[in-house]
Amino acid sequence: MLISLNWLSDYVDCPLSPERIAEGLTMGGLEVESISLRHPQLKNVVTARIEAVEPHPNADRLKICVVSAGGLELRRIVCGAPNARAGAVAPLALPGAELSGGIVREAKVRGELSKGMLCSQKELGLSEDHSGIWILPEDTPAGIPLDEALGIKDVLMDVGITPNRGDCLSLIGIAREVAALYKTLARYPASTVEETGPPVDSLTSVTIDDPKGCPRYAARVIRGVKIGPSPDWLKNRVEAVGVRSINNIVDVTNFVMMELGQPLHAFDFNRLRERRIVVRKAEAGERFTTLDSVERELGEGTVLICDGVGSVAIGGVMGGLNSEIGPDTCDVLIESAYFDPVSIRRTSRRLGLKTEASYRFERGTDPGGVLRALDRAAALMLEVAGGEIASGKIDVCPNPLKVSEVDLRVDRVNRFLGISLSGDEMKEILERIEMRVEKCEPDRLRVTVPGFRSDITREVDLAEELARLSGYDGIPVTSPLAAVHAADSDPHQTVRAELKNLLVGAGFFEVINYSFISSGALRMLRYSEGDPAVPAPIRVRNPLSDEQAVMRTSLLPGLLNNARYNIDHRNENFKIFELSKVFLPRKEGLQAEEVHHLAGIMAGKRVELALYSDGDVDYAETKGVVEHICAFLRIDDLRFRADSLPPWLDPSASASVYVKGERVGELGRVHSEVQEAFDLKRTVFAFRLDFDSLFALRGPVPVYRGLPKFPPVPRDLALIADESLPVEQPLDFIRSLKEPLLESIEIFDIFKSEQIGEGKKSIGYRLTYRASDRSLTDEEVNTVHSQLIGKVTARFAVSLR
Amino acid sequence: MKKAVENLLETACRVLSGLQDDPKAFELARVRFLGRKGELAQLFKELGKVSEQERREAGRLLNEAKSRLETLFSEALDKRRELDAARRESIDVSVPGRRPPAGRLHPITQTATEICRIFNWLGFETVEGPEIELDYYNFEALNIPKDHPARDMQDTFYISEDVVLRTHTSPIQVRTMEKRKPPVRVIAPGRTYRRDSDVTHTPMFHQVEGLMVGKGISFGDLKGILTTFVHQMFGPSVGLRFRPSFFPFTEPSAEVDIECVMCRGKGCRVCKGTGWLEILGSGMVDPEVYKYVGYDPEEITGFAFGMGIERIAMLKFGIDDLRLFFENDLRFLKQF
Ligand SMILES: [Zn+2]
Repeated sequence: MLISLNWLSDYVDCPLSPERIAEGLTMGGLEVESISLRHPQLKNVVTARIEAVEPHPNADRLKICVVSAGGLELRRIVCGAPNARAGAVAPLALPGAELSGGIVREAKVRGELSKGMLCSQKELGLSEDHSGIWILPEDTPAGIPLDEALGIKDVLMDVGITPNRGDCLSLIGIAREVAALYKTLARYPASTVEETGPPVDSLTSVTIDDPKGCPRYAARVIRGVKIGPSPDWLKNRVEAVGVRSINNIVDVTNFVMMELGQPLHAFDFNRLRERRIVVRKAEAGERFTTLDSVERELGEGTVLICDGVGSVAIGGVMGGLNSEIGPDTCDVLIESAYFDPVSIRRTSRRLGLKTEASYRFERGTDPGGVLRALDRAAALMLEVAGGEIASGKIDVCPNPLKVSEVDLRVDRVNRFLGISLSGDEMKEILERIEMRVEKCEPDRLRVTVPGFRSDITREVDLAEELARLSGYDGIPVTSPLAAVHAADSDPHQTVRAELKNLLVGAGFFEVINYSFISSGALRMLRYSEGDPAVPAPIRVRNPLSDEQAVMRTSLLPGLLNNARYNIDHRNENFKIFELSKVFLPRKEGLQAEEVHHLAGIMAGKRVELALYSDGDVDYAETKGVVEHICAFLRIDDLRFRADSLPPWLDPSASASVYVKGERVGELGRVHSEVQEAFDLKRTVFAFRLDFDSLFALRGPVPVYRGLPKFPPVPRDLALIADESLPVEQPLDFIRSLKEPLLESIEIFDIFKSEQIGEGKKSIGYRLTYRASDRSLTDEEVNTVHSQLIGKVTARFAVSLR
Repeated sequence: MKKAVENLLETACRVLSGLQDDPKAFELARVRFLGRKGELAQLFKELGKVSEQERREAGRLLNEAKSRLETLFSEALDKRRELDAARRESIDVSVPGRRPPAGRLHPITQTATEICRIFNWLGFETVEGPEIELDYYNFEALNIPKDHPARDMQDTFYISEDVVLRTHTSPIQVRTMEKRKPPVRVIAPGRTYRRDSDVTHTPMFHQVEGLMVGKGISFGDLKGILTTFVHQMFGPSVGLRFRPSFFPFTEPSAEVDIECVMCRGKGCRVCKGTGWLEILGSGMVDPEVYKYVGYDPEEITGFAFGMGIERIAMLKFGIDDLRLFFENDLRFLKQF
C-alpha cells in the first residue's frame, strides 16, 4: 500500500527521517518495499523570477529570459513561450533535472547558451497544459524548490501489508503502528457533523435480510450537493496514494477509505427506487451491471445491495451503473457497512473482480469503525460539495458487536518467547496498540482487543504482538534443550546421493528439469496415443503454457531438450543425467504414484581432450555406464536383450535391461525420428532405468571370502562363429556348466577378417582356472579345458580357430 | 701388505672414476674388486702367509680397505642413479594429463546437500513427501482455509479440486507430525511449484523445510538454531536479523535477513540498497496446526522454517539469473 508521509503526518507526530520510519515499520512487521519522492521529476526544478526579456539575436520566435533563481547570479534562459514576460514567476528546470521529455542540460540554442529551461505544466508532468510556461502566483518566492513552493513536496512509502493486517490498509492504521513503535499516540480525525436537514428516518430506511453476509449497515443522506472537481487538497491527497480523482463526492469516499480503512459507497439517492436500501442474498443466476459497465452473473449467496425494486450494488465489492454518482446528482446516500470477509472473498474470486473495497473487506474491517467513517465522509462532503446533512443516521446492526477478550499468562508467554517481561511491561506494550489490559491475577492479564484487530483472538496472537513491539532483536538467542539423538538416514536417499556421485565420477553432469512436459512430448518420443505401455500423463488444470501442460512420465523429453540446447550452443561433447521423480497416474486415490527414474544422454567424443580422443560415444559406452551402475549396486544377474524396446530407441543399436529377469530399463541409440522431432543435430545415446526397481534389487552387504592361496591358470579359447551368434551365448553356456575349477571367463577379443570368411567372426574367450586347495597342474587344466571345448563345439555351430 | 692394500685402493679409485655410465662396466669393476674371487678377497687369502706379529695389523688394514671400497662403490652407485633419474625426467612435462572424466552435481543439489548436512549435524533427520499433494496438506492443515486471503500469497497449479502441485515443502510438516509423536526434528528438501514465471520466478523451484517440536522449545531457540545455520552456511561473521512477518501456520512468524553478501551491508543492486537479503521464513508452529495432527498445544511448542534453495545457491555462487538453473547449459554446469 502506498503511504504519503505528508498525509501520515496528519495523524501522528514523527520527527524521524523517512528512512528511519521505514526501518521501524519493517522491523515491526510492515515491510517497507520502497521509498520514493512523490514527484521525482521535480528534483532540480526551482521557482525563478523573470527579470528581463531580450530578443534572441538569431531567431524571431525565441526570447532570452534573464531570470533570478535565488542568489545574486542571473541566468540567461532561451525560451519560446509567448507568455514569458518580465516580472513573472515560473518553474525553472536546472541542468540535471530529469523531466519526462529527457534530462535538461546546459546547451546552446541557435547560438545562445541557455542555463536551464522554463517549463509548462505539461513539461513537468503535472497536467496536459502546454499553452505556455507555467506562470506562478506573483508572490511566489524565487529560488526555492518548486514542490515546496506548491506544497506538494511529499515522500511515498510502499508498504507490504501481510494478509493478517487488514487494519493497516489505511493511513490511520499505519499511523497507529508508527505511534506504537515510537511510544506516542495516533490522532484520529475529528468529525463533527452539522446536521441541518430533516430526520434521516423520514427520508429513507435500511433493511438487512442477510445478517450473516452483512452484520452492520449504516447510512446518512446529504441533500443538495453540487458535483464538481475536488478541491486541490483533496485531489492531491488521493492522487498521492495512487487513486484517480473523479469528482468531489467519490473522492471523499476514497479519501475516507484510505484514511480510516473503511470502504464507503455513495449512491445517487434519487436513483434509488423507493429511496430505500435492502441487503439480501443474490439468487442463483441473477445478473447485475457493475460501475465498470460489465454485466456479471452473480453466484448464489452474493451479498446484494438493493433499492425498493432491484439490485444497485454488489455489497463490499462494487457499485452499480444504475445508481452511480453523476454530474447531475443532487442528493447522496452514503453507505458505511461491515461485510463478512469470507463472503466477500468468495464473491470477488468468483467474479474475478478485485477492488480496493473487496481487498479490505476480505481482510476484515472494523465493524466498530463504521460510524466514524460515515460521519467523517458526511462532514467532508458538506465541506467540498455543499448541501445539507439529514439529521441522525441509520445504523442497522442486528446482532450486538462482539468484544474480543483474550487472557494472557505472563509466565507461559515468557517461556514461549524466551524472554522475561513483567506483567506490567506487557501491559504497557499492549496498551500502545490500543488494547485495554487488566491484571486479573498475578500471572494473568485480561486483554480487550480493539475491533480493528480482528486477527487477535488467542494468547499466542498477543505473544506475537509482544515479540514484535519489544523487538525480535531483543529476544536472546538460546540453544534448545533436546535429547541427543542421531538423525536417521533413509537408504533410498543415501543410495540416490551415492549414485549421483558415481555418475559424476564417470564424467556425467547432473541436470534438473521441470516436472512438467509438453502435452505432445510423448508423441515426439514416437509413442502412439493410447499405447498401453505408457499411461496418459496427469494434466495440470491451469498450466502456464502447453509446453508445461502435463506431469512428466519420462525424464527423456527434458534430457533431449537439454541435448538440443547444448548442441545448438556448441557444447557438443557431453554426458548428462537426471535422477528424479516421474509421475504416474494411479487408479485409486487422488494423488500420483511418484517414482524415481534415472536417465542419461551421451553425445560426441568419448574423451573430451582432443589429444587423447579415441572416437565417439557408442552403444558399448552407454551399456558400460549401465553395467557400472549395476556393479555399484552389487547387482549381478544383469542381462541385455534386444526385445521390448520403447519406440524412442533405434532397434539396431539398443537393448532392454533385465535384472533377475525383471525389466528395469533400456539403453541405446536414440531413434532417428526422435532425433529429428527434438531437432538434434547429432546422434545421441541414452539410457533410462527404474531407479526404484534397482534400489529394491540391489545386492546385500557383501560377506568377506578368503583370498585365493593358489595361483590361477589361464587358458584361451578362440571360436569362429556366425556373425549373428551373440558372443554372450557360449559364455553363458560355459558358465551354466558350473565347472568347479573354472573361476572366471571373459571375452578378450572379437574380430572379423577375410581369412575367417564372409559372415563369420572370431571370438576369443579367456578362461581362468583355479582350485582353492592346491596348485593345479597343466594336465589337470588341459583335461577340463578340452572337455569344455568339446561341449561348446557340440552345442553351437562354431569351429576352433 | 700395506703397499698392496694401498695399490688396490688407488687402482679401484682410478677404475671407478674412469668408468663411463655403463652399468655392465660398473658391475665388472665391482666384481673385480669386491667379488668373492676379487682382488680384495685375494689379499684376504694372503693373510695366512703373513707372520703372526704382522697379521693383526694387516687384518685391520684389509678390513678398513674393504669398508672404504664398499663406500666408494655405493657412492658411485648413488651418483649413477641420480644421473639415471635425471635422464628419465627428460620427457616433456607440459604434455596435458590424461584425466579421468569428471562431471559435477547441479548447483541446486550441491546447495541442498550442504543445507541438509548442516541440519543433520544438529540432529534433524532428512524426510521427503509427495509433490502432487492434497489441498488438505498443502493448505487446510496449515491453517490456510479455502476463501482465506492467505491463499493469494501463492499462485497454485491445480490437478483437480482437491489436488495441487505443492506450493511449498510445508505439507511435509503435517505429514511428519501425523506419523510421529513429539519430539520431532526433521529437514525436508524438495521441488515446489507456483504459477508464476518471470525474471525472478520459475514455475518450479526448490525449498528446504525444517521443523523442530517438543516440550519447552521457545522463540529464542528458533533464533539459536537458525543463527547457527546462517553462520555455518555463510560464515560466522555474517550479520543477520529476525524481522516480524506473517505465515498462516506460524505465530509469531519471522523472516530472516542476512547482511548482503555482495556489498557487506552497504547497499547495492542485489539487496535493493537495503544492505539486507531475505533468505528464509520461519516461526513458532501455530497452535491450529497442532490441532490437525493431534498434538496438545499446551504441552508442545516448536518452530518451523523454510527457504528457497535457488535463492541460497544464487547468493553462494553469485549467480544473477534464476533461469540459468533450468537451462542446463554445460558451460554453466561446469562452473560448480
Ligand atoms: Zn547489497
